[in-house]
Amino acid sequence: MLFELDNVELYFKNKRILNGIYLKAETGKVTGILGRNGCGKTSLLDIAFGNLKPKYKLIRIDSKPLLKPLYKTGFVKYLPQYDSAPKDFKLYRLFKVFELNWDTFSERFEEFLIYKNYKFGNLSGGQRRFIETYIILKTKNEIVFLDEPFNGISPLMIEGVKALITEEKIKKILVVTDHKYEDVINISDNLYLLNNGTTKLINKFSELEDYGYLSENQIPI
Amino acid sequence: MHRLLAILAFYKPFVTWSFITNIIVAFISAQIIPGIITKLFLTVFAWYYVHETNQRRKLTFYKNLGISPLKLFSILFILDIIFTVIFLIIFREFT
Repeated sequence: MLFELDNVELYFKNKRILNGIYLKAETGKVTGILGRNGCGKTSLLDIAFGNLKPKYKLIRIDSKPLLKPLYKTGFVKYLPQYDSAPKDFKLYRLFKVFELNWDTFSERFEEFLIYKNYKFGNLSGGQRRFIETYIILKTKNEIVFLDEPFNGISPLMIEGVKALITEEKIKKILVVTDHKYEDVINISDNLYLLNNGTTKLINKFSELEDYGYLSENQIPI
Repeated sequence: MHRLLAILAFYKPFVTWSFITNIIVAFISAQIIPGIITKLFLTVFAWYYVHETNQRRKLTFYKNLGISPLKLFSILFILDIIFTVIFLIIFREFT
């Protein structure tokens, strides 16, 4: 499957936030989006998912234009920056809602074994983040948008998320954005930089310095 | 079943307001049609409130489940009028 987001133009009041956007993502590859704070990464994912309506946008799936919001197709999942699951939902129930098996999860991530009957809101911020990321990645779908999946989670959990992403990318389109640029670069097959409201496909890491996103000593070797 | 529970979780914060409205409607006119019309206005207001505040974030969870805001609020409205009708019938029996 091929997902394309094209011709996005977004304004907040009279301020132009995004223009001239082009993003291509395909099954079997992780597409990373980097950018400074406030450059519009979250807005871009919101637009792609259908949470935010811009002035213009064009979504194509396998080169065919899609006129309805992407979430209505039923084959896309979105991990937003914030906790989205109801706080008073017990974890095993949350897994059942998404038709996932709690035992499979807790056998793999044993530190969660005791939390089966805990309410989602009673977990720590990092645990909530990890569980939501797991659910979004593992649920039956074909396109996944992850907005800051590494935010607030411990290094071991970051490795867990990266392993899950690597597993799931075989059969899904994954689009990831996060400020932990090293982790994003590490897992991405294609990389875009969002700068001045437009996307730029990054072919060499030195371009990240050219566009003023990283300093010379931050560029990965 | 679990999806219905998820929808009920969204309905939960509105239950108290719905019940207070039921009591007011019952004392003014314990008729079913005015009760349903009142609930329709309240559902539209709830939809507006959710869309215009940070509560809008909650909708992402339901969109991930394939439940659009229109479907969510329609189910909420149906659930609410079921409770309202039951409440009004019981109220009329005792007054």
